[in-house]
Amino acid sequence: MGVKSVENMDRLYWLGRYSERVYTTLKLYGLRFDSMIEEGENYEEFCESLDIPDIYGTAEKFRDLYPFGKKDPNSIYSNLMRAYDNAIELREEIGTETLAYIQLSVYELNKAAQSDAPLIEFQNIIDYILAFWGIVDDQIEDEETRNIIKVGKRVERIDLYGRLHKDKISMAREVHRLNGRIGRSGLHYNKGVTGKLLLLIEEDTMNFPEIVRQIESILEV
Amino acid sequence: MWRMKIQETIDLYERADTVNELLARYGVKFGIYKNNTFHEQLFPFDAIPRVIGKEEFDYLEKGLKQRVAALNLFLKDIYNEKKILKDKVIPEEFIYASSGYLAQCEGIVPSKGVYSHISGIDLVYGKDGNWYILEDNLRVPSGASYPMIARKLCRRSSPKTFQNISIADNRNYADLLKKTLDYVNTGGLTVVLTPGRYNAAYFEHSYLAERMRVPLVSSNDLIVDGDRLYFKTYNGKKEQVGAVYRRISDEYMDPMNFNPESVIGVPHIFDIYRKGNVALVNAPGNGVADDKGIYYFVPRMIKYYLGEEPVLKNAPTYLPYYEEDMQYVLENFDRLVLKDVAEAGGYGVVFGSSMTKQQKADFIELLKKEPRRFIAQEVIDFCDLPILEKGEQVERKADLRAFVLSSEEPVVWKSGLTRFSRNPDSFIVNSSQGGGFKDTWVLNQ
Repeated sequence: MGVKSVENMDRLYWLGRYSERVYTTLKLYGLRFDSMIEEGENYEEFCESLDIPDIYGTAEKFRDLYPFGKKDPNSIYSNLMRAYDNAIELREEIGTETLAYIQLSVYELNKAAQSDAPLIEFQNIIDYILAFWGIVDDQIEDEETRNIIKVGKRVERIDLYGRLHKDKISMAREVHRLNGRIGRSGLHYNKGVTGKLLLLIEEDTMNFPEIVRQIESILEV
Repeated sequence: MWRMKIQETIDLYERADTVNELLARYGVKFGIYKNNTFHEQLFPFDAIPRVIGKEEFDYLEKGLKQRVAALNLFLKDIYNEKKILKDKVIPEEFIYASSGYLAQCEGIVPSKGVYSHISGIDLVYGKDGNWYILEDNLRVPSGASYPMIARKLCRRSSPKTFQNISIADNRNYADLLKKTLDYVNTGGLTVVLTPGRYNAAYFEHSYLAERMRVPLVSSNDLIVDGDRLYFKTYNGKKEQVGAVYRRISDEYMDPMNFNPESVIGVPHIFDIYRKGNVALVNAPGNGVADDKGIYYFVPRMIKYYLGEEPVLKNAPTYLPYYEEDMQYVLENFDRLVLKDVAEAGGYGVVFGSSMTKQQKADFIELLKKEPRRFIAQEVIDFCDLPILEKGEQVERKADLRAFVLSSEEPVVWKSGLTRFSRNPDSFIVNSSQGGGFKDTWVLNQ
């Protein structure tokens, strides 16, 4: 579609960010869940690394509430619902076929909440989100629309990688991907930030707090 | 009425669950408020279609075109010359007391003279073999998107069925709608204006916008500047808008001209509509013609404006406003259905037979006090349609909403929304009251 409102640009960007947040945190949670099966592993470290408040108290509560907590703004459920809330208002922009993968993820998460082995359903959600990104590329004709969603995804990934102290190679790859995309998105962004990020990934020791600070200020408001 | 041989459609019935799963996948829902909380619900789909033969559809088409033509002429007349009132075919008070009548529309002739661009006409098929019109919806009739997407998914689920039976394709609704909007467009973009995702029909707004490839906008995206309407883009530019398929009711459309508390309207949009600088679809003020009280007069309108006998019948209706009709209603109260003319969506409908003695006494008191507020109708013994329930076929009440699109030439969409009651004892088919829907097949031969 040729013309876009301020609201739709914003929704596309946040659809990209939240879908990425769900994807990455689900994968991380899956790893953590595995190690918590026999012993109550230290979940506080997980909260700390993602910069989310520890409202859980016990490993058991964390295991239930972090993925499914409807009132917890940091839960995977809340982030998926935010992705859905944006997607549902973008049907005419992204298409019914594309929207379906977010819808399916919501159904799957609700199913997982009733399951004794939620990781199985989580794998389905991960698959749906991968399919969502695939269909964004394959079926959304408008290049700007595709680029905005992908910029949201890259920004979120850099943010998460920064918080999780991901390795330099992965971080550099994401920064380069963002740099190649953002200029074609039509978004008003702070060009100084992309320049600074490119310099930061060249440093021998990664300055993660600075990367997070920079990426959080990339969009001009 | 056609009934398909079970063998011809068995493949589709066996795949009914698949179709419902696909409808869920694509978020085919409607919104509903329960205890002041918004819920999205799937609209239950039944795979057994309503089937209309070609000859029967030709008859319906003729009657529907006739009815909508008369209603369009009525709207033009009421807001301009008022000949029908001067000739005393309809009493004046039925117009001016109608909540759908808008004095602000006096003297306005919309782009190309079309008032009801999209008309949703509700019908039932009686056991006496006649179709009866139940009501006309000329404001923002909804529902076409559901059979449109259901057909697509049924074809995907059971290609064999559609190979074996020659059915008119109904997936062209968005094209017909776009053509209708383009016809009256005064220059610029065509947009769909929605009150937002918490509207009951939001799925339809977004799906039709997608299928027509036009922007779905909210009031914040539009601005009146000078004498034109514009869509505000992210880049700070303004694109002129020439046609608005508005899914917002009249009173909320423009806070400067109607309800001043509306936050979902576009200030001054009505002013530029009045000047002919934008098409609002459907035209504001149409409510005067789909008022349940005015319904009584539609057969008279057809004779008055077109000089023809109505092809399609109204359900036998009584206006307690007329002394003679009031007498009839009081004498036959227990076998009539009474409808509040100001209500819609299946609300404000009561059956005389289901009232307690006290309720009946209270209602009659109200009826005598406000006779203009109600109509009474014979309960049409309409044909039940089969639905699948837990794998078994059971019969349920069903109606049909037919869609007539008026542009250069009126077109009756070769399909329609068939709604059915899931409750075996109920005549109420509305989705808001738990009803489901079926596809409507029009056979090519």
